[in-house]
Formats: sequence, C-alpha cells, structure tokens
Amino acid sequence: MTLLEVRALDAFYGDFQALFGLSVRVEAGETVALIGANGAGKSTFLKCLVGLIESKRGEIRFGGESIETRPAEWISRLGLSLVPEGRLLFPSLTVEENLLMGALNRRPGSWRLDTVYELFPILAERRRQAPNALSGGQQHMVAIGRALMSNPKLLLCDEISLGLAPVVVDQIYQSFTRVRGEGVSIVLVEQDVKRASAAADRVYCLLKGRITLEGAARGIGLDRLSRAYFGA
Amino acid sequence: MIWIETIVNGVLYGGLYGLLGVGLALIVGVMRVVNLSHGEFIVLSAFIGVSLARVFPGIHPLFLLLPVALIAFALGFLLQSVLVNRVVTRPDPFAAILLTFGVAVVMRNLMVEVYGADPRTLPAGRLAHASVGVGGLSIGVLPILILALSVALFTALQLILRHTRFGRIVRATADNRDVVRLMGVNPGRVYNVVMGLSLALASVAGMLLAMRTAFTPYSGVERLLIAFEVVVLGGLGTFWGAMVGGIVLGIAELVGLRFDPNAGPLYAHLLFLAGVLLRPNGLFGART
Repeated sequence: MTLLEVRALDAFYGDFQALFGLSVRVEAGETVALIGANGAGKSTFLKCLVGLIESKRGEIRFGGESIETRPAEWISRLGLSLVPEGRLLFPSLTVEENLLMGALNRRPGSWRLDTVYELFPILAERRRQAPNALSGGQQHMVAIGRALMSNPKLLLCDEISLGLAPVVVDQIYQSFTRVRGEGVSIVLVEQDVKRASAAADRVYCLLKGRITLEGAARGIGLDRLSRAYFGA
Repeated sequence: MIWIETIVNGVLYGGLYGLLGVGLALIVGVMRVVNLSHGEFIVLSAFIGVSLARVFPGIHPLFLLLPVALIAFALGFLLQSVLVNRVVTRPDPFAAILLTFGVAVVMRNLMVEVYGADPRTLPAGRLAHASVGVGGLSIGVLPILILALSVALFTALQLILRHTRFGRIVRATADNRDVVRLMGVNPGRVYNVVMGLSLALASVAGMLLAMRTAFTPYSGVERLLIAFEVVVLGGLGTFWGAMVGGIVLGIAELVGLRFDPNAGPLYAHLLFLAGVLLRPNGLFGART
C-alpha cells in the first residue's frame, strides 16, 4: 500500500526555484533514503511534505489524502512526523517536556514516554535536564523520541548523522530497527551515501532540485549512486 | 525611620510597577514584540472600571478587578487575532511596533472622545486611608493588598507557565514558532491567549494604579514608559525580573520624592538609564 505519493513537486523560495518536478513514493513499512549533496533540495523536500513551505505546486498525497495545500499543524495530525535538521529542540523545556510536546497530536499506538525511554535509556536519566546540557547524539535521540511520541505512520529524518561521531550514528541507526518493527515507515535524508543506502529499501538521489537516480537500494550499486550524487 | 518607611513604601509601590510590566514582559518573551498600546490598555481598563463603578455604585473597585480583567482578556484576544497576528511573523520587527503604535494613537483619541480629558480616579473608600502599624512604621493597607495581589498574580503566572500543558506550549512557541506547528500547535492561537493574558494582567495593574493616582486618556504613555523600564531593567522577557525591576523603580521614585517633591519619577528614570548602561541585559539577564 502506498503511504506517501508525491507527483511533479516544484518548490520556491521567492523567485528562486529549489525543486523541479520531484516524484517520490513511499510504501507502508518501507525505508526510503533521499541522498544528495548540500543544496540538493533534500530538506526543502521534507519541509514541503510537512507543510512548512507554502510556495509549491504539484501533488502530495499521504494515506490517500491530498495535503499539499494544508498547513503544518493540520498535516501533523495525519501521522507525518519530522526530525528536523539541527534537531531544533525547545531549549526552555526539559528533555521530558520536549518529548511531551511530540505527544500533543498523539495518535493511537505504542510510543509513549516509557517506550521512548526504553529505546534511548540515557534520556530517562536526563529527563529533567535542559536539552542544551546534552551531547549532540543525545539531542538527536530527544528529537527522534519527540517525533515518535505522536505515533507517526511515517518518520522523516533530516540529516541525523550530521556532525555526530560514527559510533553515535551507529547507535541511532540501530534504533531504527525497533522503529520499523513497530510498523513505522522511514524517510532518511542523508549526505552519507553508504550508510543511507545500507539502511534503506529504496534510494532516490537528488542533484540541484532534480531526481537523478532512483531504485532498490540493494541493486543500485555505490558507484552509480556516487556518480548521480556528484552529477558525473 | 523615615528612610525605612520610604523604602518599604517603595517596595509596595514597586510591586504594582512590576504588575504594569509583567504583561509586556510576557509579550516580549513569547512573541519578541513590544506592544506600544500596552499603556493605553492599562488606562482603558481603569476607564472601564470607572464605568462599572458607576453602574454598580455600592461595589468596591477591588471586586471589579475580575470582570475588568475578563473584558481586557477578550480585548487582547481580539487585538491579536484581528490585527497583530497579521504582522507578527514578518521578519521586520518594526511592522508590529508600528501597528501597535497606531492602535495606541487611535485608542487614546477614542478615550478622549468617550470619557473626556479630565483626570479621574477610582475611589477606594476607607481602604485608601487605612493603615497598620508595624515596628513603629505606618503602612497603608491598600498598598499591602496591592503588593500581595501582585505577588499572587506573578506566582500564578509562573506556575501556569512552568507546570501546565498550556505553559509548556507557550514556552515551546516562544522557542520556535515553526517547530511547534509540526506538533499540531497553531502559534497564532497561542499568541491570542498570551495577548489576552498580558492585557488582563495590565488591566489589574491599571485598576490598582487608578485607586492610588489620578489618570486621563493621556496617561497611557507614562504607564507604558514605566512598564517598558520595568521590563528592560528586569531583563527582557523574564517575569520575576519584571517584579524586581518594578520594586527597584518604585524605591527609586519614592526616595527621589524625598529629595525633591517634584522630581520623583526623574530619579526612577535616571536609575533605569544607569541600569541599562551597567547591565544592558537587565538584572536577570536576557532570554536567548
């Protein structure tokens, strides 16, 4: 069953066009990687999905519903949850309060405070601390936990490996096994071609706002992906 | 002894100044906007109190605080939803400042039209002159009540913001109004309630001040000046900072009156200036 279907999506920042006719599909239970260099349009694409960019045209259907003209606060109720680039936690809230913010739009499901703490036990120890007192990896865990608290159908992760030590990135990617086990589909936006394609079922490669390559992650080959990534 | 009494009275007066500023601090802290019509709403609340006192002549003005606060809340909600929300998300902060300046000018002229320019007060009856003796000092009952009410309102505001779901949403919206949208929160609706709360607090301050001093439709500028000094001196967007800022200004004004009966506010303004020069982020630091 198709969970997300994007057709011919264009996006704009004023007069500047950032995306050109993007068509992307995510099936239920699938993990899809969106890879590309800086400025390829990956984050813009995610922002279009969650309703943070209004200047766009094309069709976005989520769970069969058309959402391209809907505001972000409405879309979030459907089960589309973003882990934003740079985490964007709320600094004046504690770790636990940040997680509870994610539960404002709670849909039925298994993700609660205790299951998030089970996934990331360190957060239970740091629950009363401000997010700024946490390491970068722990802040990413809070951002993922906050997104999971709404019990999403689709989790959108924007550059979660950026600026983190490889061992921390491994830990975060391992947590996705449990997340997928709960039936959550995932879109991974990454610059790390190798890691993202290893974790995904299917891959899309973006270059200057256009899709240059798509296919099953297993058969696509790192060389082909690297060429598409650099536009060679 | 006279100086101790002056300082005690300054503290009591300053609590009211803090209340004048806390609503403004709330708006600055949550929306990063300075509401230049804050002073006019303080004065309007006092006029609404005068009107209600005329309709219900036997009722003490203290009992009119709640209905006036509810009316002010509704006015704040309307102001925000109809006007300020149109400009609050613009990157240019002057848009909201100019808009509220326009609202202030219109309100001032409307109040002159409706109520006239004569000075008014809210008669507090025997309470205005009642006093208690504490350790050889004579302290007014009304100022004590006003300080107690100010502290109670500050505490209630703090408890709401720290320990309720609504408070969590307000703090998160103040941190990042785009990210809260991803959690289903409409920042505009949060701002509506916050502006309502801000003006409800301002209305209480306006009513209490009107029981102590006369006011005219032109008093808004003076009230805004005090509120602004309180907010800046305490630290932009910090609530207890506003309370302490108010008390510091209150003491400075009354001490100044002892030196020169015509120049009390001058000493408060000079202290504000010194405070800005020495601690630009205010006594309690600025929010980042």
